[in-house]
Amino acid sequence: MSVGDDAGIVAHGIGLTRAGRRVLDDAAVTVAPGRVTALVAPSGSGKSTLLRCLNRLLEPDEGTILLDGVDVRTVDPRTLRRRVALVAQAPVMLPGAVHDNLVHGLADPDPAVVARALADADLDPSFATRPAGELSGGERARVALARALTRDPRILLLDEPTAALDATTADHVADALRRIADRGIGVLVATHDDRLVARVADRTVGLGG
Amino acid sequence: MVGALIALIFRHPPLAFAFVAVMAVVAGATSGGRIRRIPGARRAALVAIALPALGVTGVLLLVGAFEVTPRAAIPTAGILIGGAMAAATLTGRRLVEALDERADEVEARLALGDDVPTALAPLVRVAVTTGVVPVIDQTRSVGLVTLPGTFVGLLLGGASPATAARIQLTVLLALLLVELLAGLLIALAIRRAVTAPGERVVVPPADGRSATDPGRG
Ligand SMILES: Nc1ncnc2c1ncn2[C@@H]1O[C@H](COP(=O)(O)OP(=O)(O)OP(=O)(O)O)[C@@H](O)[C@H]1O
Ligand SMILES: [Mg+2]
Repeated sequence: MSVGDDAGIVAHGIGLTRAGRRVLDDAAVTVAPGRVTALVAPSGSGKSTLLRCLNRLLEPDEGTILLDGVDVRTVDPRTLRRRVALVAQAPVMLPGAVHDNLVHGLADPDPAVVARALADADLDPSFATRPAGELSGGERARVALARALTRDPRILLLDEPTAALDATTADHVADALRRIADRGIGVLVATHDDRLVARVADRTVGLGG
Repeated sequence: MVGALIALIFRHPPLAFAFVAVMAVVAGATSGGRIRRIPGARRAALVAIALPALGVTGVLLLVGAFEVTPRAAIPTAGILIGGAMAAATLTGRRLVEALDERADEVEARLALGDDVPTALAPLVRVAVTTGVVPVIDQTRSVGLVTLPGTFVGLLLGGASPATAARIQLTVLLALLLVELLAGLLIALAIRRAVTAPGERVVVPPADGRSATDPGRG
């Protein structure tokens, strides 16, 4: 994995107005490959909004976002969203089995990647055949993580991944993030969970970078 | 009043075109008004209604399903415009509701790398199906539950039951086709209206303020 000076995400000067409200103002963040960065800021300050800007689910009014030195606006959004995968705070399961969720949108799913994603997310291979609609909150959170990983991303964005989990399950997720980062993926996790930050974050930042 | 107008039109065939055009415009405005959150809704509804309704009317006249007179053409166009309006309204409202209710699911699909048409496909499918359910039920129950209006009207007008039944069947099949096309067209127009650059979905808010995004924090 190439780790140049500009590897990962470098975002700065991000401004966004939504429904007439200034939601982000001169926000900045960097996500380095192989590291877990915790984004910690007060509720309502714009963490979720910033994560959505990084994969262009939202379009900032100002600022620049570079992925490996390339302006994300020049990348096909579908490609960008696989390279910069987002796990939402309350992940929505798509219809079908867990496996259908894992391979959703993949033209030629690699069974090895699927198996590794399940393992990384701390899910037994038998989960693949479970109906996705019948999972517990914690299982859904881990399936959502695995589903993001099957995109084979360079960057993984997680929005409050432990918010709905008990301490033990949350620790499993934290350890999963460590394994994922150790493979060279840049992890950015927006969280209020001090325990998660202490357990896994290499670096803690606010919305100013 | 309307009766006098129709009598007048039956005597002056060119007026028929104006009358049908007015029907289509009113239908478009009515249906589009139900989804006025969507920019350009009225124009989109006019196209979604007029294109299939008038197109199929034209085909029916061309193939000689009816005589080419205002007496035959106006009721046919009217029935098809009315059906298209109902389907466009049902489909449009269902799709706009779904864009709100299923915003998180749409975002999840986009985040996984779907393009907008793929991410919206399940919503479009449900909406178009919703739009044609009434006409499908009507078609299935014909003669068992309902004696459709065209049939009764033709009988009262002196047509033989066989002729009335043949024309009624033609009208119902035409309705089915027209309503399906109207639903598809309005759904595609709405999809286009909420598609923003960068494979994003942006739905204008219900209260008519400036456009924002459906995404949640
Ligand atoms: N769809 C939307 N339209 C308009 N404003 C929104 C929308 N979603 C969120 N906001 C506003 O943007 C601001 C930032 O929200 P965001 O969800 O990014 O904050 P957050 O830091 O993630 O908060 P939390 O820690 O509670 O999740 C909030 O004031 C919120 O009300
Ligand atoms: Mg948030």
